[in-house]
Amino acid sequence: MSEHIIDINHLVKSFGDNSVINDLSLSVSKGEVVVLIGPSGCGKSTLLRCLNGLEPIQGGSVSLHGEAVEHGSAGLHKIRQKIGMVFQSYDLFPHMTVLKNVILAPVKVQKRDKAEATEAALALLDRVGLKDKADAYPSELSGGQKQRVAIVRSLIMNPDIMLLDEITAALDPEMVHEVLNVVLDLAKNGTTMMIVTHEMAFAEAVADRVVFLDGGVIVEEGAPAEFFHNPKTERAQRFLKTFTYSR
Amino acid sequence: MNFLKKIGAVISAAILTLSLAACANTENSSGASGGSESGSFRTIDEIKAEGRITIGVFSDKMPFGYVDNSGDYQGYDVYFARRIAQDLNVELELVPVEAASRVEFLQTAKVDIILANFTVTEERSRQVDFALPYMKVALGVVSPDSAVISSADELNGKTLIVVKGTTAETYFTENYPDVKLQKYDEYNEAYSALQDGRGDAFSTDNTEVLAWAMSNPGFTVGVESLGSIDAIAPAVTKGNTELLDWLNEEIKALGEEQFFHADYDATLAAVYGDTVDKDNLVVEGGEM
Amino acid sequence: MRGIEVLFLGNNMLRLLSGLWVTVRLALISIGFSLVLGSALGAVMTLKNPVVKVLTRVYLEIIRIMPQLVFLFIVFFGVTKLTGANLSGEVSAVIVFTLWGTAEVGDLVRSAFGAIPKHQFESGASLGLSKLRLYLYVIFPQALRGLLPNIINLSMRMIMTTALVSLIGVTEVLKVGKQIIDANRFDYPNAAIWVYAAIFLLYFLICFPLSLISRRLAKRRADK
Repeated sequence: MSEHIIDINHLVKSFGDNSVINDLSLSVSKGEVVVLIGPSGCGKSTLLRCLNGLEPIQGGSVSLHGEAVEHGSAGLHKIRQKIGMVFQSYDLFPHMTVLKNVILAPVKVQKRDKAEATEAALALLDRVGLKDKADAYPSELSGGQKQRVAIVRSLIMNPDIMLLDEITAALDPEMVHEVLNVVLDLAKNGTTMMIVTHEMAFAEAVADRVVFLDGGVIVEEGAPAEFFHNPKTERAQRFLKTFTYSR
Repeated sequence: MNFLKKIGAVISAAILTLSLAACANTENSSGASGGSESGSFRTIDEIKAEGRITIGVFSDKMPFGYVDNSGDYQGYDVYFARRIAQDLNVELELVPVEAASRVEFLQTAKVDIILANFTVTEERSRQVDFALPYMKVALGVVSPDSAVISSADELNGKTLIVVKGTTAETYFTENYPDVKLQKYDEYNEAYSALQDGRGDAFSTDNTEVLAWAMSNPGFTVGVESLGSIDAIAPAVTKGNTELLDWLNEEIKALGEEQFFHADYDATLAAVYGDTVDKDNLVVEGGEM
Repeated sequence: MRGIEVLFLGNNMLRLLSGLWVTVRLALISIGFSLVLGSALGAVMTLKNPVVKVLTRVYLEIIRIMPQLVFLFIVFFGVTKLTGANLSGEVSAVIVFTLWGTAEVGDLVRSAFGAIPKHQFESGASLGLSKLRLYLYVIFPQALRGLLPNIINLSMRMIMTTALVSLIGVTEVLKVGKQIIDANRFDYPNAAIWVYAAIFLLYFLICFPLSLISRRLAKRRADK
């Protein structure tokens, strides 16, 4: 657990005058699952987007294996092949079947053999329980199924890290489980991940390390058992309290 | 985006104004010189050199200019156009025009001559040059065979059907105050009023009533020519004096052989009948 | 049924068909040019440059405000008056319909691209697709699907509007119809209804398949 996949150094991100991330530094090691939590607007989704070069940054740096990730740079699409990202909204390509969605990037970007990519795609779809949906169009899938396909679509690229941005936030409650089980399975198999989520039970189960953000800075970080049951900072305690109910 | 819509509207208006101004300009500047001017007319030599004359005619105004079922141009105007090409010893190209675009076709010299039932008016004379007339139109009065009205004076005290806004309405209001006018908006309403006997007679352009009487037995045009007479003449681009002079000479020469009577027999007789006094419609030698 | 025989007199049927061909040819050529130029315009319109935005918007509004008839007159007669260049009626018609079509296609392309959710761009980019591939495989096919029914719709409107070109001396199907009615108005006073019925049928034969395709495409899009 020593090799760094992602290094964030003194990252500053703002939208106009509105500062979202203030001088934030964080590293993720190979095989590690880091869960970002915090109140809405704390900058956790923005942070994830910065890691993929989707947002221009105003200071500091982000690097993958020491290679700078820069918004708008010419080589960005090459680095992005090594970073898988799944969004909150269903972002499958509606005009392609599930299988075509999954093999588009491996064939067109990584220049892999189509038969090999198809085989890999079907194996991954099987792993998430959707092999029989390979020829279906996204409109024929439920929200949970779409998100599982989206995960497979990123996974087939063999990325160095997966970024999951609130992937269950738009799902009906009964579908949350099927998606999160897939993520837990990935974690068990050693996939490096950075996850933004509001599902606290899931966060505790999946995380190697929990990072609590507020106001664009890391307020507290630590092992999940420690963080969830014995938070050190007052802000984290207040935040966690909003998830518990009592009469 | 409302603001941009307004800008669009303003610019459209500007384009319209400019193009109108351009029209006006052409009118004023097209003097006798013509030759080198933009959209300029062709001289007779140029027409002969190219071996082709273009003449604008109607393609759906039977019996003046129309296309028959074989797809060939026919009619009183077309008959004359063919003779013009023949006498110039050039090929004839007929261009279909609409009433609304006749003046523009000449101003832009897209045709050499317009022969499209073109009535001479003061306003048009400022925009195009009219040659001598080859036809004329006046008012006519149609009435039932049982009580034929054969002069305008016979209408005094009787009911005359007219269509609102026509020359007939103005003419009878001003000159025959004792005629009771029954006014209709549409021609077909007026004709059915006549057929139902709601009036004693109906008056409008003589070409119109003559044609109608031909296809409606039981009615006669008792008055074939009445009121002010409108001349129908060929027109050329303003300033094309050479072609204009040639046309005038041609019309005079054709008068000697009674060409337009022959034209009448070939094209108008089928619509207006043989019994009509041809001299009420045909003009020979340019003399009204 | 009196009057229907007019359709079969002389060359009348053939004339109507060749009039229809004039109509269809004008519309096809204009749409062809409009697609190429309109796609370029649409691409330009998606730029965020404010000057470009204002210019294209104003162009669009001018085209929409200006009646096509006035436009035909300006191009057919106005250009000759101003420059002396003698454009034929058909060329003028193609210019006018292309200017109109380009504006409409441009706006359709702009809105078709605008209608594609931002996440489609982002998830495509996240997969490592270069900009070219992203547009080629992800964005264009989706935009095209939204675009096609509208383009077909525009083509049909264009076919209908070609009836105006008789004013600048081009004889299309409706004008042929009027010629036939007029040439036979004494012998067959009831021919008009049959001639118009025939023209309606011809328009229908051209436009109905187009509208079927368009509806099917629109439906398929709604499904996905």
